[in-house]
Amino acid sequence: MASVALSEAEKVYIVHGVQEDLRVDGRGCEDYRCIEVETDVVSNTSGSARVKLGHTDILVGVKAEMGTPKLEKPSEGYLEFFVDCSANATPEFEGRGGDDLGTEIANTLYRIFNNKSSVDLSSLCISPREHCWVLCVDVLLLECGGNLFDAISIAVKAALFNTRIPRVRVLEDEEGAKDIELSDDPYDCIRLSVENVPCIVTLCKIGCRHVVDATLQEEACSLASLLVSVTSKGVVTCMRKVGKGSLDPESIFEMMESSKRVGKVLHMSLQSVLHKEESLGPKRPKVGFLG
Amino acid sequence: MLKSKTFLKKTRAGGVVKIVREHYLRDDIGCGAPACAACDGAHAGPALESQPRDQASSLCPWPHYLLPDTNVLLHQIISAWKPGTWASVASRLRPPGSLETYIEQEQGENANDRNDRAIRVAAKWYNEHLKKMSAENQLQVILITNDKKNKEKAVEEGIPAFTCEEYVKSLTANPELIDRLACLSEETNEIESGKIIFSEHLPLSKLQQGIKSGSYLQGTFRASRENYLEATVWIHGDKEEEKEILIQGLKHLNRAIHEDIVAVELLPKSQWVAPSSVVLHDEGENEDDVERDEERQLALKTAVSEKMLRPTGRVVGIIKRNWRPYCGMLSKSGIKESRRHLFTPADKRIPRIRIETRQASTLEGRRIIVAVDGWPRNSRYPNGHFVKNLGDVGEKETETEVLLLEHDVPHQPFSQAVLSFLPKMPWSITENDMKNREDLRHLCVCSVDPPGCTDIDDALHCRELSNGNLEVGVHIADVSHFIRPGNALDQESARRGTTVYLCEKRIDMVPELLSSNLCSLRSNVDRLAFSCIWEMNHNAEILKTRFTKSVINSKASLTYAEAQMRIDSAAMNDDITTSLRGLNKLAKILKKGRIEKGALTLSSPEVRFHMDSETHDPIDLQTKELRETNSMVEEFMLLANISVAKKIHEEFSEHALLRKHPAPPPSNYEILVKAAKSKNLEIKTDTAKSLADSLDQAECPDFPYLNTLLRILATRCMMQAVYFCSGMDNDFHHYGLASPIYTHFTSPIRRYADIIVHRLLAVAIGADSTYPELTDKHKLSDICKNLNFRHKMAQYAQRASVAFHTQLFFKSKGIVSEEAYILFVRKNAIVVLIPKYGLEGTVFFEEKDKPKPQLTYDDEIPSLRIEGTVFHVFDKVKVKITLDSSNLQHQKIRMALVEPQIPGINIPPEVSDMDLNGSGRKKRKLDK
Repeated sequence: MASVALSEAEKVYIVHGVQEDLRVDGRGCEDYRCIEVETDVVSNTSGSARVKLGHTDILVGVKAEMGTPKLEKPSEGYLEFFVDCSANATPEFEGRGGDDLGTEIANTLYRIFNNKSSVDLSSLCISPREHCWVLCVDVLLLECGGNLFDAISIAVKAALFNTRIPRVRVLEDEEGAKDIELSDDPYDCIRLSVENVPCIVTLCKIGCRHVVDATLQEEACSLASLLVSVTSKGVVTCMRKVGKGSLDPESIFEMMESSKRVGKVLHMSLQSVLHKEESLGPKRPKVGFLG
Repeated sequence: MLKSKTFLKKTRAGGVVKIVREHYLRDDIGCGAPACAACDGAHAGPALESQPRDQASSLCPWPHYLLPDTNVLLHQIISAWKPGTWASVASRLRPPGSLETYIEQEQGENANDRNDRAIRVAAKWYNEHLKKMSAENQLQVILITNDKKNKEKAVEEGIPAFTCEEYVKSLTANPELIDRLACLSEETNEIESGKIIFSEHLPLSKLQQGIKSGSYLQGTFRASRENYLEATVWIHGDKEEEKEILIQGLKHLNRAIHEDIVAVELLPKSQWVAPSSVVLHDEGENEDDVERDEERQLALKTAVSEKMLRPTGRVVGIIKRNWRPYCGMLSKSGIKESRRHLFTPADKRIPRIRIETRQASTLEGRRIIVAVDGWPRNSRYPNGHFVKNLGDVGEKETETEVLLLEHDVPHQPFSQAVLSFLPKMPWSITENDMKNREDLRHLCVCSVDPPGCTDIDDALHCRELSNGNLEVGVHIADVSHFIRPGNALDQESARRGTTVYLCEKRIDMVPELLSSNLCSLRSNVDRLAFSCIWEMNHNAEILKTRFTKSVINSKASLTYAEAQMRIDSAAMNDDITTSLRGLNKLAKILKKGRIEKGALTLSSPEVRFHMDSETHDPIDLQTKELRETNSMVEEFMLLANISVAKKIHEEFSEHALLRKHPAPPPSNYEILVKAAKSKNLEIKTDTAKSLADSLDQAECPDFPYLNTLLRILATRCMMQAVYFCSGMDNDFHHYGLASPIYTHFTSPIRRYADIIVHRLLAVAIGADSTYPELTDKHKLSDICKNLNFRHKMAQYAQRASVAFHTQLFFKSKGIVSEEAYILFVRKNAIVVLIPKYGLEGTVFFEEKDKPKPQLTYDDEIPSLRIEGTVFHVFDKVKVKITLDSSNLQHQKIRMALVEPQIPGINIPPEVSDMDLNGSGRKKRKLDK
């Protein structure tokens, strides 16, 4: 993971600040940095989003591909994740340097998103046991500025919101051979409900308090942090501890409570931004990568 | 300005891909109106007329431009509207508008709606734009669309819009235009006869599925010439069995027209039928005689043995229509003042077409062209519209046009695009042309051709070298120097494939500037050539072969007769004559060698017409004379072709364009062997050599013409020679010439194959650069296919032209009696050849409505006994030749027996004309 080297004095300064609910950049412990979201940034994907959270910069593309359902879930489609840790983000990722982190993030994303309660997987099924949509979610880390997981989860949710899957019909002839017919109207497509798609809220234990949306410097001061995935209704769906330090049960409980609180607000503002962007229609000026 | 266009595509593997294309919209396309200041200097494209000619339309009396929508354009453009605004728009299609008129597909709008909207936006833009241009000059753009909704919307938006029919009807100055409208308004027909005759055609997606799963078969529909209720479908594919499927009955034919690609479903074996031997022509005058057709259908189902049953099927859908405009004549409706008439195509395989016209009386007795628009399910006949009046039946120009059209010979004048690739005149040889080229202007080259030849593509020279050997050169016009691969000129000549020689007309493959001037190796001018130069010893053995591009200056263009005269007259001893003598000497040795190897000398009665110089009517016939010089030129051409074939095959073993002549299967010779046997002669056919030898020995002292007859018969046994790509075949043998390899190199002016061979050879010797298509054996194979087709069609057209001129000749001659020889004996007829005219015809012994004479046919000898008189092959008879014009569309030469006399068979002259009512017999077989 990308990290910064901090001197002992700097660390003490940060830890003491957090103690007073005062962070280096002036935020309180439960405040996020400013988040920028733009969807539909890559035209040849089914859905895409770019999220900037402080210096963290994430691009997510969703591609809908035709596949066969998994044996154990014959009437559901599924998601696949691939995380590319670009060497642009930090020189450490050069060569195979980012592979471990990428796999770790991908595994986390599988656990959080690839289940029925998060995404309506049954709507991805075209014909049971034969055809389903596979959503390939490609995550590209463009810059690491702390709190990767939150930024990635926001980007994934925005990209899923933006995803348009072409509507297909299954034609069957007398012999039972099936053929798939594609609608020739590009607007004729299905969209996923992102109502239940969770976001990750990472809580960093610093000293005896915890902060959300830690910067790289703050992460360097923390020994343990908790990833909590929360839905818009405030339901915790998944939790994972990272870091080498330990957490006592008391503080875990506290952290969960604050994650629910923060998560709800985060979902609400994300939802409103996405809807607002969509209401601008296809003619909205795009910011893209040059803005 | 950049726009991106996104669409989804299904891949072959079944996946779905999203494809994004970037579109850069141009902002430099002007409106095209010449007086427009706003678009001044914008991209110079095709322009609109400055002042649209007044069309006197009652709907819009002010000057206007027309903006047809795509469907109107596609369907009505063949209507060939003349003169008017429409034509000017149609011939200069321009993309309407640019930046201002681009729209994107909106949600809930399908692609068609989007296009409709785009055209409305364009029309609106044009109207506003033109208004800006000049306020006083009320120019308007009128949208022409047959789409009801589109029209309504346009009118709502304030754009003047009419349907095509409305507009054309309003053109008061040109009432006949309405006839040429493609009739697409199917509603009107439905009202008329609600009865549905045919089952529906399945949609393409279903057909493809069915073909994939094997429940349907795909093939080319071939209607029968003899029976309009019967057709066969040639199944595409490699499977040997069930190559051909029989379709019988109107309903099973299901509106398929000759040459369409169709999908057929096989019927269960219990419903299989045998091909009927009945000749049926659709003669129904009434359109609703479906019941009668059904009765006739029943008549087809005669009792037959199991063995004769054929796989039978029915047409379930059309994969691709192959309609073309058809030539034919109008059968005027019996009902007075009726505007609907039936049109009878000249080709009997095409069904009759219903057209609507007000000028039936003027079109009667004329050859016309009709295009098919569609075939609704409730109509007995397809619907079409009148396109063009070719002229009176029997007129020479009309008939020539018809035979060119019917044989699919491209004969339009060359387009501007094609002509633009011609070299600029005055043309001269430049430095650049001399690259990779040898200067052979000092050689004493001359050409020998038939009299009146303007496209001279070969010239020869022969000289003695210092070492005592002879140098012989064949110089071929370097057409590939002028026709560069891929340009419009090249594409057009590739399409035409060959020059077509009709009796009094030549349809050039390349524009005249090339064929008769720059490429023609005329005397005393510098011409570019491709030379094949051999060093030979005096026994005509080739010591060295060399190919080079060159510049030559022919010293003389001789005719065969002139060349012969020079060779023969001892007084002449100039360079040209010595050269000719040398060539002639070598040619004789070459020919001898070739014949020893087994090359065939065949014969066909070739006839030339003497034309009246003013009326161009044939006044006399003359069979071609053969001189030594003919065979001299031929011999060297063959040698050049063989040398080139070897060279290009050596260099490009996979993609050399060659010509082969397959050996005929032994069964083909049966008729020849039997015929010879009846004259106590033996013809051996096991090899080409033994055939050639036995033909040479087959002489009969009291019957000198017999040998020619045998050779004519032998010609009939042969297979067609074809072009092919060496990488796609492994049998290269040329049977007739007894050469293991052969190609065409010597006539690039009149054959496209030679141009390709020139290019290959040029690449092989490093004189020219190659290009990708040249080394693509599939592309080459496609070219060969087209060339073979064009050559076949050109031959048919030539024969048809000869046949027509023969008819003209006999029309002027009246009834003639001539001596003839029997070529074939059939079950109910004899085929005779009249040597004097080189004319072949059939004498029938069974006449409709007459008592049948007693006929006994013996297949073994073969002979035919009629009422006590026996006819053998090669018997001499006397026949009377008349022109039968009872069927205006298919005039034919009729022959009747005069000698020997058989009671009841010979027709006394005065009755003859009465009896010649066309009984639908096969066309005279002049063209075997």
